[in-house]
Amino acid sequence: MIAMNILVCFKVTPDLDQLPPDGWEVDRAALTVETSFVKAMINPYDESALELALRFAEDAPGPVKLTALTVGDRSADRYLKMLYALKFDRAVRLETGADLRFTPEGIAAAIAAFVSRNPHQLIIMGRQSGVGDNAATPLLAAEKLGWPCIAHVTEIRSLQEDLLKVRAQADDGFLSYAARPPLVAAVGNVPHAYLRVPTLKERLGVREKKVEIVAAALPAEEGAGCTLTGLDVIDRRRAGLKIEGATPQEKAGALYELYLKERLAKL
Amino acid sequence: MSLTREQIVEQLVGILGEDNVVTDEAVLRQSSVDRFRRFEELHGVFTQPLPAAVVYVHSTAEVAEVLKFAHKNLINVVPRTGQTATEGGLETAVANSIVVDGSRMNKIIKLDTYNMQATCQCGTPLQVLEDQLRALGYTTGHSPQSKPLAQLGGLVATRSIGQFSTLYGGIEEMVVGLEAVFPNGHIARIKNVPRRAAGPDIRHVVIGNEGALCFITEVTVKIYKFMPENNILLGYTLDRMKTGFEILRQVMVNGYRPSVARLYDPEDADYHFSHFSEGRCVLIFMAEGPKAIAEATAAAIKEIVARHPECQEVDSRYIQVWFDNLNWDASDVAEERAEILETKNIGNTTEISADWEKINVIYEACVERIRREVPDMTLVGGHSSHSYINGTNLYFVHYYNVVDCKPEEELTKYHLPIKTIIVEETLKAGGAICHHHGVGKYRTPWIDQEHGSAYYILETLKRAFDPRGIMNKGTIFKG
Repeated sequence: MIAMNILVCFKVTPDLDQLPPDGWEVDRAALTVETSFVKAMINPYDESALELALRFAEDAPGPVKLTALTVGDRSADRYLKMLYALKFDRAVRLETGADLRFTPEGIAAAIAAFVSRNPHQLIIMGRQSGVGDNAATPLLAAEKLGWPCIAHVTEIRSLQEDLLKVRAQADDGFLSYAARPPLVAAVGNVPHAYLRVPTLKERLGVREKKVEIVAAALPAEEGAGCTLTGLDVIDRRRAGLKIEGATPQEKAGALYELYLKERLAKL
Repeated sequence: MSLTREQIVEQLVGILGEDNVVTDEAVLRQSSVDRFRRFEELHGVFTQPLPAAVVYVHSTAEVAEVLKFAHKNLINVVPRTGQTATEGGLETAVANSIVVDGSRMNKIIKLDTYNMQATCQCGTPLQVLEDQLRALGYTTGHSPQSKPLAQLGGLVATRSIGQFSTLYGGIEEMVVGLEAVFPNGHIARIKNVPRRAAGPDIRHVVIGNEGALCFITEVTVKIYKFMPENNILLGYTLDRMKTGFEILRQVMVNGYRPSVARLYDPEDADYHFSHFSEGRCVLIFMAEGPKAIAEATAAAIKEIVARHPECQEVDSRYIQVWFDNLNWDASDVAEERAEILETKNIGNTTEISADWEKINVIYEACVERIRREVPDMTLVGGHSSHSYINGTNLYFVHYYNVVDCKPEEELTKYHLPIKTIIVEETLKAGGAICHHHGVGKYRTPWIDQEHGSAYYILETLKRAFDPRGIMNKGTIFKG
């Protein structure tokens, strides 16, 4: 049986939750936000994508080859090594040296170029990341490859030898697709998909394995979809009022009169 | 003849009223364990005997009445406040125990900024006290990771320590006076004085008793001026733990008192500081206090570290971000629960202490043995986070995947073997088997070895103050 090749794309991002509201240092001239002192992590949507791929490989009736791919700098290498320990067959980093925050076209082109040189039947990636927040890369990659793309994916299973069962979230529920690869799956909110943790023994077993580093230039014309022209901090603080009252009933009454009554009447 | 569960509940309702006696089975199950058995608890498996009731007390007099009732009828009592215990101290080892919850005794009684002390009821959350003090320009100096959740009674009962302890000390150095209720209902108030030589320091009978001798109802702690504007953070990476311990030793023996002095091994550093540690150890300091003292302390630390060429200074903003995200609140606990359930990967910690000569010996022996002897480990490492002139602590961090076993087998397959290794190696080297989490129920088997000939003093306390053995059975004391 021929192995199914799955490419899982992920991005290493700063954990922006670690930045306190007054900790956002914005350089308006350089158009950057200082995040280099914040701990890094795998973008949560991509973390789900990686775990879904591992589950797919475990349950698939036939052989599956998993490739993890990221476009970024060497800070991603420790995560790629970890993915080797989790039984990914290949761990590849495309090194561009470019500012990747607002270049979904360029990243999608780089992914498509990689796939054209390294055939895969299924690409799984998170729908968006906190940095850039474009939510465009999976769609653009699918377009460049001429493949269909299913968005907001929460589950991927093997239905038959060449048929996938893909579950995706919609506005009012879930959609189940029977999809024939090739396909791009853009992973959305998966309720339970924390990435598993490799053991020390598994990490030791791949200590000598090297991350594949591939130089890749982002095509200049591909990065020009939009141009960053300014950065500003949005003040999301909201006014608050402490409701005073002698009893919980009194406070609940005040809450109802002040805030809920009018809104409920409009329902 | 012992009372039935129904009779116990009926009499508790008579003492405290129906609203303050909870017998809901789900609550009883949750109240039969603490974080030590959270893997079982997360899977809905409860293996400990269920208590008869959880009771909420609102005054010292109510505590005295409940304890007298339990004392008379030989009913086990488990005192608790913030429920952040990690070592099994809140487990109900005896069926039909009474869990006495002091969290509703949560008044801040007095903030005395002239005499520099604050008096609170046992259920006062440390975060609430600290926030009120900081608004006035003061601090307790106490900052355990559990600060957003822990309450004063429990912090004192477990001899807790905070992240700034190298300057402010552990809770035992902060407590000025307190009030505690003993099993026979006697209410003892230890008055608030700067120091006294009127016999042994009886505060230490209460501090760290883990609910096995008495119930703490009120605490007075020292307060300090809060001057965060003078804080100086320093961070370094280095190759060897041994070098790090030596730097900590030199800082301490030369008389400097940074509030934070922490040394992480490469594994633990990778967990917290992977964005800059690059596989090396990490050393962190914070100097605080009056400007001149903070500056002098920081300058001295820099000079000491400079004598060790393997140390590389890192931008202090790395340390600032870490510092801003130190503590665990309810959302972190909730996220941890979801992650454990999903990945079957769980982490625990075990803290010990030893003198400067022994600490690295214990560190190396424990890490080597755990890696070799315990299956499915995903992280074995640790850090030193509280230093003294004569030694330091080690906070072992151990994570593992729970593989091929039922939730109720997790402890015996993984957690207890790890604990055993750490305790054995610590005792062998002459260190202390518990540094700041308390003994709980799972280091009790070694408590006599821990104290040696001095165990006579400890067990005499139990016989004297809890002669009928009703206080938190299995905690600290065997049997």
